[in-house]
Amino acid sequence: MNLPTLESINLLAVLPVLIVFGWTLVLLVIDLFIPSGRKYWTAWLGILGLLGAAVALAVRFIDARGAAVTAFDGMLTVDGFSLFLQAIFILTAVIGILLALDFLPRHKIERGEYYILLLFTTGGMMIMSMAADLIVVFLALELLSIPLYILTGFARPRADSEEAAMKYFLLGAFASGFLVFGIALTYGGTGTTSLVGVFNQLAEGEPSRDLALVGMALILVGFGFKVAAVPFHMWTPDVYQGAPTPVTAFMSVGAKAGGFAALMRILIVAMPAVGEAWGMLVAILAMLTMILGNVVAIAQRNIKRMLAYSSIAHAGYILVAVSAAQRPEDAPLAVSAAIFYLLTYAFTNLGAFGVVLAVEREDGSGNLLEDFAGLGRSKPVLAAIMTLFMLSLTGMPVSAGLVGKFFVFQAAINASVGNPWILAAAIVGIVTSVISAFYYIRIILIMYMQEGEPQVVLKPALTVALALTALATLILGIIPAPVFQLAKDALLTLVG
Amino acid sequence: MSLTPLHAIFALMSLFTVGGAVGVVLNRNLIYAAMYLVLSLFGIAGLFILLEAPFLAAVQILVYVGAISVLITITVMVTRCVFCKEPPPRQLTLVAVMAALVMVTLGFVIMTRFGGLTPAADVPADSIEQLGVAFVNPQAYLVPFEVASILLLGALIGAIFIARDDLPRDEEAVGGDDHA
Amino acid sequence: MSDFVIFLIDAAVKAVLIIVGLVLGFAYTTWLERRFIARLQSRVGPNRAGPAGLLQPWADALKLFFKEDIMPTDADRIIYTLAPAVTSVPALIVLGVVPFGGQISLFGYQTTLGLADINVGVLYIVAVTSIAVYGVVLAGWASSNKYAMMGGLRATAQMISYELAMGLAILAPVMMAASMSMSDIIDAQQNIWFVFLQPIAAVIFYITILAETNRSPFDLPEAEQELVAGYHTEYSGMKFASFFMAEYMKMIAVSAIFSALFLGGYRFFGLENLLGGWMGPIILFVKIVASLAFMVWIRATLPRFRYDKLMAFGWKVLLPLSLANAVVTAVLIVLDIIPSFA
Repeated sequence: MNLPTLESINLLAVLPVLIVFGWTLVLLVIDLFIPSGRKYWTAWLGILGLLGAAVALAVRFIDARGAAVTAFDGMLTVDGFSLFLQAIFILTAVIGILLALDFLPRHKIERGEYYILLLFTTGGMMIMSMAADLIVVFLALELLSIPLYILTGFARPRADSEEAAMKYFLLGAFASGFLVFGIALTYGGTGTTSLVGVFNQLAEGEPSRDLALVGMALILVGFGFKVAAVPFHMWTPDVYQGAPTPVTAFMSVGAKAGGFAALMRILIVAMPAVGEAWGMLVAILAMLTMILGNVVAIAQRNIKRMLAYSSIAHAGYILVAVSAAQRPEDAPLAVSAAIFYLLTYAFTNLGAFGVVLAVEREDGSGNLLEDFAGLGRSKPVLAAIMTLFMLSLTGMPVSAGLVGKFFVFQAAINASVGNPWILAAAIVGIVTSVISAFYYIRIILIMYMQEGEPQVVLKPALTVALALTALATLILGIIPAPVFQLAKDALLTLVG
Repeated sequence: MSLTPLHAIFALMSLFTVGGAVGVVLNRNLIYAAMYLVLSLFGIAGLFILLEAPFLAAVQILVYVGAISVLITITVMVTRCVFCKEPPPRQLTLVAVMAALVMVTLGFVIMTRFGGLTPAADVPADSIEQLGVAFVNPQAYLVPFEVASILLLGALIGAIFIARDDLPRDEEAVGGDDHA
Repeated sequence: MSDFVIFLIDAAVKAVLIIVGLVLGFAYTTWLERRFIARLQSRVGPNRAGPAGLLQPWADALKLFFKEDIMPTDADRIIYTLAPAVTSVPALIVLGVVPFGGQISLFGYQTTLGLADINVGVLYIVAVTSIAVYGVVLAGWASSNKYAMMGGLRATAQMISYELAMGLAILAPVMMAASMSMSDIIDAQQNIWFVFLQPIAAVIFYITILAETNRSPFDLPEAEQELVAGYHTEYSGMKFASFFMAEYMKMIAVSAIFSALFLGGYRFFGLENLLGGWMGPIILFVKIVASLAFMVWIRATLPRFRYDKLMAFGWKVLLPLSLANAVVTAVLIVLDIIPSFA
């Protein structure tokens, strides 16, 4: 047997994810020796590992300057796109841990496994962004999902947490089934699971195309579930409401970004040959998602449910960007818009959930919109931060949300020449953004205009998380250019 | 093309697979449904043998029949009212229409792609060795293999966490030995 | 005659021989057990029917044939009837991949003693043992009896738990022979048996096969003090006899497998080539009888495990031990410290 060369394995390129996995395994053992009640040690050690991964990522980024390489002989692709997304995942995980640090002991569910599972799913997301083979995509998706199912049920035996975990698990397994079937059909059509191979086969000609088309549609269904796109969104409100709030925060950002990472790589890199077909499908999904998410959110009285529908709606905006990438020449701009949007959404949404956490009470109540009444008077800073996040989610000026939406619609309008579907999606997006202002701004009004006595618990870790996210939202809103330049350089490439 | 005993075996195995699957869906008694599932999985193992993949056939039986279906059977036995035979409500018509739709689409597509029979390629004698090496070869399937390992570890931790019923409520009293 | 027809006849004859051998073996294993256990307990045992009680199994069989066949009112008729068969079949087919001897020649026709020597023989054995549990669990469910049900569930939990350790224990001889074919594993032991090279694996394997066959001290599924008779509480007549038969046939089968994996199978340092190759089956027979006698000895010696102890022993002792053994073996083979007989 020929020994593989180090170059073809390229361990250095995937060092960040190796650090995450390796450190998690070590942490799993360390956690045994940490007495219960002091599990925050596990959390801080977890953050330490993530920071290590972040350093490795930064080194890699400076070293490579956007050059794309493959690792493990084409199983993984390390390009600008995956580096950018990995940065998002690590950030999300760090903030996710910070959010959970006070929450878990307060709700008497503090256990070391929480952080271990969270790190596992983070590693899964990172693999997801690099996966250049459909088998790896599937396994990474499961690695992302299964710990999340468990985290959703982490507050057991609280009934709503268990119910949420059950729903998430059943529907998630169902969606995985669609994905696997789609992968199988793609393999049947092209005879390969590697994205490069699929690309070559599809470029070559007719016979493989029909089968791969059906496969593509099923893959779209599978990922549509993960990113909570209509009509595969049914699980979202219940799961977001039932899951412990830090899990909801982490999941709403991480799982979505992970799903989009793999979806974009598969569609844009491997299947440009059938771009017209998936472009139309994704545009239709995007329109349905934006309309339903934003309209139904208006009717919600529970802030977690409202943010769930808001999360559905935001999946729609990202889908607009994805659909705009259907032609290879439009793809770079659309992809950078999508990942930039993911970044802004990550900060904003994590922050918003952070505020929800601060207002939430120990018995799990305090999630109604009315519970925010009077926040403007009793906690003016917190209310101001929440206002910022709400404005950002709407897409108002001086916030990251506006910039994100702007780039997405710009990319869509750019790509819509001669393609009515994308144009329609862009128009629907703009209209629904206006609609969304109604329910986001309602929160602001409740905070400042209504009388009430909110019970706020604000511990140091949560404060740090809120400060981080608020600052990032503000900075991305005021001077987005440097970061957007990074996103622009973060090319999605086909290497192999 | 003349018919050989292999054709008969193929037909039988296909009947097991498809018939078993139909039985799973249509049967109102969950234990019977589980047994039909076993039948279907056996059929798939038979198809693997016809494809000269005895390793996959053995693994199919070991994993799906010997482990997963057993767990399904036990789960049915311990969670339902064990001896009752009440049917769960169903929306059979809708499901049947959807299934038929998918089948026609897929059937059409597959027929256009693979119209007619293709002779199977020769199976190398050392296919199992090749498979084993491929799993741990960094140039082949090492990454999926390791990702699957971590996935299973995560699922294991999660399963233990979910199944444990002695969650410590009093943090001080339990001390450091409450790891799962 | 075409090759295919010869192949069919050859296979059919061998299959029938294995089945007949197992059924006869079952009859006389019961005799062996009763006589031997009686000796261990300072009794005489059955000695009335025939010389030394050798006709006792036939008398028992006759009696069971004429017993009334009872079916509980609430029983699920189909599954209740099928369960005994489902239990017996794995015991009957598992020996298909174990060779009983080398090349022999019969009326000028060359053949090997052994039904099929497939290249995944070990996996086949593990797969077939893993489906043996269905008969037990279905019998318990179909009987519509809570003791039977609990016996069935216990059996399932026990067999699944011990299967893992069994599979990992088998891995050791497989790695050393670098093959999953039973005949390759036997050939690799020509000079030294794996029981000496892999004592830990051998002990673990033997313990797990006791658990897989529900033999004492692991006979919890039929613990009479707690569960009446476990999963076959409601069975009578020939259906009961099938369960009984399945248990003893399994004992014979796993003894044969243990002999093949760890005791050199039909080989005994060249002696197997005597009598034109017919010495092989005789050597294997001796090894099987020795293993069966050992099982009876264990039954007469050890008390039954408590259920939670059984589970703890399987998961906390056998599984880690067999895993460690497999890892160490693999490392040692890679480092060339212990030989691999590839």
